[in-house]
Amino acid sequence: MADPAVMAGGFTFRGGKATSSPAENYQLARRRTLQVVVSSLLTECGFESAEKAAVESLTEMIQRYISEVGRCAKAYCEHTARITPTLSDTVVTLIEMGFNVNTLPVYAKRSQRMVITAPPVTNAPVIPKALIAGQKRTHPSHIPSHFPEFPDPHTYIKTPTFREPVSDYQVVREKAASQRRDVERALTRFMAKTGETQSLFKDDITAFPLIAARPSSIPYLSALLPSELELQTLEETDSSEQDDQTDSENTPGNNLNDDPGADKENSMLPPGGVVPSVKASEENMIDNPYLRPVKKPKVRRKK
Amino acid sequence: MNRKKDKGFETPLFLNVLTCYVMFIPHTTHQVVCINNINFQRKSVIGFVELTIFPTVVNLNRIKLNSKQCRIYRVRVNDLEAPFIYNDPTLEVCHHESKQRNLNYFSSAYTAAVSAVDPDAGHGELVIKVPSELWKQGDEMNVLKVYIEFSLDQPKGGLHFVVPDVEGSMAERGAHVFSFGYQNSTRFWFPCVDSYSELCTWKLEFTVDASMVAVSCGDLVETVYTHDMRKKTFHYVLPIPTAASNISLSVGPFEILVEPYMHEVTHFCLPQLLPLLKHSMSYLHEIFEFYEEILTCRYPYSCFKTVFVDEAYVQVSSYASMSIFSTNLLHSAMIIDQTPLTRQCLAQALAQQFFGCFISRMSWADEWVLKGISGYIYGLYLKKTFGVNQYRHWIKEELDKMVEYELKMGGVLLHPTFGGGKDKDNPTPHLHFSIKHPHTLSWKYYKMFQCKAHLVMRLIENRISMEFMLQVFNKLLSLASTASSQKYQSHMWSQMLVSTHSFLKSISNVSGKDIGPLIKQWVDQSAVVKFFGSFAFNRKRNVLELEIRQDYTSSGTQKYVGPIKVTVQELDGSFNHTLQIEENSLKHDIPCHSKSRRNKKKKIPLMNGEEVDMDLSAMDADSPLLWIRIDPDMSILRKVEFEQADFMWQYQLRYERDVVAQEESILALEKFPTPASRLALTDILEQDQCFYKVRQGACFCLAKIANSMMSTWTGPPAMKSLFTRMFCCKSCPNIVKTNTFISFQSYFLQKTMPVAMAQLRDIQNLCPKDVLNFILDLIKYNDNRKNKFSDNYYRAELIDALTNSLTPAISISNEVRTVDNLNGDVRLILEEITRSLNMEKLLPSYRNTITVSCLRAIRMLQKNGHIPSDPSLFKSYAEYGHFVDVRVAALEAVVDYTRGMHRTSPSEVSRTHPIPYVVHKILSMLGKNPPFTKAAESPLCNEALVDQLWKLMNSGTSHDWRLRCDAVNLYYTLFGLTRPSCLPLPELGLVLNLKEKKAVLNPTIKPEQGPDTTEMTGITMGVHIPGLITMETVSSVSMSSGVAPPPQGLKRKLDSVVGPLGSSSPEPGQVLQEEDTSKKFKIRFNTVEEDEIDMESPHDSQAFIHHHLNILERPSTPGKEPPAVDQAVLSLPVTPLPSSFGKESTSSSKHSGDHHHHHHHHEHKKKKKKKHKHKHKHKHESKDKERDSHAFSNSPASGRSARSPSMSD
Repeated sequence: MADPAVMAGGFTFRGGKATSSPAENYQLARRRTLQVVVSSLLTECGFESAEKAAVESLTEMIQRYISEVGRCAKAYCEHTARITPTLSDTVVTLIEMGFNVNTLPVYAKRSQRMVITAPPVTNAPVIPKALIAGQKRTHPSHIPSHFPEFPDPHTYIKTPTFREPVSDYQVVREKAASQRRDVERALTRFMAKTGETQSLFKDDITAFPLIAARPSSIPYLSALLPSELELQTLEETDSSEQDDQTDSENTPGNNLNDDPGADKENSMLPPGGVVPSVKASEENMIDNPYLRPVKKPKVRRKK
Repeated sequence: MNRKKDKGFETPLFLNVLTCYVMFIPHTTHQVVCINNINFQRKSVIGFVELTIFPTVVNLNRIKLNSKQCRIYRVRVNDLEAPFIYNDPTLEVCHHESKQRNLNYFSSAYTAAVSAVDPDAGHGELVIKVPSELWKQGDEMNVLKVYIEFSLDQPKGGLHFVVPDVEGSMAERGAHVFSFGYQNSTRFWFPCVDSYSELCTWKLEFTVDASMVAVSCGDLVETVYTHDMRKKTFHYVLPIPTAASNISLSVGPFEILVEPYMHEVTHFCLPQLLPLLKHSMSYLHEIFEFYEEILTCRYPYSCFKTVFVDEAYVQVSSYASMSIFSTNLLHSAMIIDQTPLTRQCLAQALAQQFFGCFISRMSWADEWVLKGISGYIYGLYLKKTFGVNQYRHWIKEELDKMVEYELKMGGVLLHPTFGGGKDKDNPTPHLHFSIKHPHTLSWKYYKMFQCKAHLVMRLIENRISMEFMLQVFNKLLSLASTASSQKYQSHMWSQMLVSTHSFLKSISNVSGKDIGPLIKQWVDQSAVVKFFGSFAFNRKRNVLELEIRQDYTSSGTQKYVGPIKVTVQELDGSFNHTLQIEENSLKHDIPCHSKSRRNKKKKIPLMNGEEVDMDLSAMDADSPLLWIRIDPDMSILRKVEFEQADFMWQYQLRYERDVVAQEESILALEKFPTPASRLALTDILEQDQCFYKVRQGACFCLAKIANSMMSTWTGPPAMKSLFTRMFCCKSCPNIVKTNTFISFQSYFLQKTMPVAMAQLRDIQNLCPKDVLNFILDLIKYNDNRKNKFSDNYYRAELIDALTNSLTPAISISNEVRTVDNLNGDVRLILEEITRSLNMEKLLPSYRNTITVSCLRAIRMLQKNGHIPSDPSLFKSYAEYGHFVDVRVAALEAVVDYTRGMHRTSPSEVSRTHPIPYVVHKILSMLGKNPPFTKAAESPLCNEALVDQLWKLMNSGTSHDWRLRCDAVNLYYTLFGLTRPSCLPLPELGLVLNLKEKKAVLNPTIKPEQGPDTTEMTGITMGVHIPGLITMETVSSVSMSSGVAPPPQGLKRKLDSVVGPLGSSSPEPGQVLQEEDTSKKFKIRFNTVEEDEIDMESPHDSQAFIHHHLNILERPSTPGKEPPAVDQAVLSLPVTPLPSSFGKESTSSSKHSGDHHHHHHHHEHKKKKKKKHKHKHKHKHESKDKERDSHAFSNSPASGRSARSPSMSD
């Protein structure tokens, strides 16, 4: 029941193409058997013929059903720390799925049932082998042999490479500079390749590609706000100013969050949102008309 | 010109103005401005104003107010409907399709038009007839309440809407609107008496979307939701009497920051910029403290607001209790270069709060006092904050700038009096514009005017001492603040206005000194002094024979008589001598104190008491003179050209402690390329104590000297070893240290040196390979990771250095530039530029400084013939949507291109929104770098261009004074004062072109094209250049003629040459003028005000001017009909229009625009029958008028739609 091939029965091979891989052959054969089952059941019910599509659908349904029974049964058995489902697992499963188990023996022994030949024996699919790297390790003596094997070596082995770190200042600078330049060049080239470009030459437009100038709708934002990189740099370089920095970094977030619209005035402006440099005690003393709440309209004003 | 007016002005101006408005203008004592609705989508504003007017004349029957571009729905005086006339003669300055096209004529007409609506003289665009029922009230001197409902639709001046084109609500998009203008421009956004001398108290109400904040003048009393809770109303009260011109507004989804040190100060910025705002404003309270301390006076208003907006008109503009700044002034803590600039802007704004906003001026002629005082106290602030060196450097810079302008353009007159002398009424005949009104001034002139004003204030300070000066200011302020708290009836408010007269009186009261001669020389008179000095040392008499000559004949110069200070540095010390410059004495003998013999004494005392060792071997053994300075304190507005020996300049550079002297000597040393000069400059460069700007100057001088000494130069290229020693690693001298920028002095030097080095040239006149590689290495090894400051300016300067290193490509002309024949060095440079420019897209630098530098570099590469010259790149960067600095840089390149290439470009399409600042920049850049001048022949100089430009200044720029003056300036630069030479005489059908030896059919008559190719390109170019201008101004319209490929497109181009209005595109607003006229029509369609119609036809507004002022001595104005102003004032009850006119108005305006097309086309063809046409048109309009009124009375809706087709036949 818990056959992995059935479990993976979601695949359909309706195309009926000649297949070559053993895994597919295996599955095709099973499927064909199911089809035969469906057809015989149909005949049993008194159908003389059925459309192919209908048969397919029914096959699909039955396959699903069996798969589900298998899956559930396996789950039950695993629940009780076993690895092979027993009959009781299957029974519980069927009950769980709303099937009246008691009717099963009667149904199985019904007179007009048709006997179906077993599916042709095909080889179970072979799991492709993983790349072998290094020697597979066996269990050391203190590990019982029934424990799982070590995973493939490629998942854990490392190849040590080691070089003297370059400490010569000139070389380091040289390297940093050329690395940065290479990165920048590669990046800009990539951007130029993937996007629109402008060119300085008419004969060879690929010569010095310039990323096309694209107008933005709010140009001052990108021009005035420090880029993330710069902020990052700032953070790294100066820990003494850390406080200031985080302060100014957090505030844009604040403002974005509390949406510069709607009820800004109404909510009396959150402390710290506006005058963070002033202590909380002073907060109350600020009497600025722009921070006062907006008044409700007077009803009387209607005339 | 206007004789009548002259008479009026013969009295001293101060008195005259007083009488003027006592006689004509009834006083406004209080004004309510209420703006109910601001629609960002449609860019429209609806509101009303209510003026409380105190009639000072009996039988007041007419009230004149200022109002431009507002659509006025109804006017009520004390609840009675009042008829009104709206006429704005400045909309179109010269009527008739005049073939005059000469600037003299235009300037006088323009001045007349501005005078005709000058509020100071009691005039205005809006004339309201007081209902006769109220005339009696006038007798009893009861107040009148004038209530005016108005709206603005897509205003082009006065209010600027910024609506970014992104998703979301207006608040999320950061849409905002703010008022702007040059001088008194409040009339653009609400009706008022738009004068700086008309003070009243204010109540301002703005209803805006609940997500927005409205910031305006005065105290915010309360904010109230509307009933639907979707909007809120900001109520402002300004109890201090304030001129309408000082009222402003800005509305947007601003973030609010309350100044932590002063809670009455509030800052506003656009969303997301709060951290920048916080940092940029952290300094403001110190400026406050400084001013309050020196003026011993509290800040006059009870609150102060700063608003930072995008697309600002100017960087700083001050209004009563608030200032509007450009958002681009905001910066983070990482930015070095912008910090002082922003602080200076803040200081300027605050200085103007005291003088300019709180204290206003009596008349335009007194403007210099306000600008002078605010500039002067700003200077004091500079001195305190940035140090004496910076201050003196600034004064020198300002003086040099002003002197240069005056010598080039003729004088700048601070206090013009009109009609006093015999030389007509124009005190400045050398200028191509009138200085009678602020609105006729060229922007550059106004800048220089401000510059001169504060320099003169400094001269006054020199004369009466700073203490007295500050006392005078304090007196003005305390008088004003006393007056401000009084009621109008006490007649004290005029104390809040400063005039030249009252200012001078205060000075003489406080100081007891007579500064009359000084005022006469610098204030009442224009021009500067130009000295030439030379000397000889008479050994026998031990006397210095100084000769000081003057040039007072060339333009912009005047004669100076009076004292002058001369400082002589001798071996024994420094001595000041005050010489008297008199009529005929040129020579002055100054006895020397020291003997020429070499003193045993080693130390030489300097002016500041310091004693220094000097190596005296360089000096003349016979003379004890080390250096001589004429007028060292800059107490005369002058230019000095002084001759002394090179070693004297070198001593002056090394040992004189005054930065001005050092800068002068650096300039002088350029002429002495000797090893000694080199040494002196190098020493200065190495001296840490030396002022950084002097050292920067020394860099450039050293580069020049090195180039002159090319053949004898020894050692590595100039400055290279110096730079290496200062900024490179000890262990590896070819690698620059990682950036720290802790010492700003060295930072600035580090920035400048490579730029100066790149100016070095070798014998082949190329930049030495060494230097280029050096700069490329600087770029390569630049490492800013450990720096807490941004290096964007530094990197930009390195790109500038690359630009400087470029030299013209050696090639056969006309060779097509290809990648393959690119010079190796240039390839390296281009690679750097490409990479930097591309990186900017991914990691933009602050203010995109690097992009700006890269664009300049690319233009330079093109100019020098290394890469094909092509403006398309710049055009894409010039488009709307790029940062403004980038746009300006790109436009500069395009302007440069039009100059360099006398060929046309395939298309000149720059889709842009009209940002006044950018258009202003374009025009001034074109003026600075004109494609041709009046002297030179150029294929570009043709009639189409004249037409376009003429149209632009005549009617296209009526919404912005500054732009109009810019256009006038450009016209002047291109064509001069008289009729442009390229214009055919109007009578002739055929024009003989002597140069090309052939006759061309007068293109005004028929657009037939001659086969000559140069002319063809010329004409297309003609389209393109103004295309650039108009395109900018007009919203996003691509010029069809520009896009078409030349061969087929030619015909179409020609069409647009002849009549840009006649182009087939039916869109309204394709050409500026059209927009204006359509606006006029719109007024008619929507309000159906019978009164207005007459005023609309150009004919009558012309007559209006004539009638009121008799100004124009027009060469050809026969058959002028007397104006029918009074007839026009029909007291028809005016039906207020429902505010839902929106769609209809736009559709009708489209029609009217269309209609106008036809008319103009017509006009062009029938130029010769000008007069006939006019009558015809007039008739047409009156007919239409009748039809209109009928239609309206029958069924308004149908009438409106039916009318438009009827108009267009």
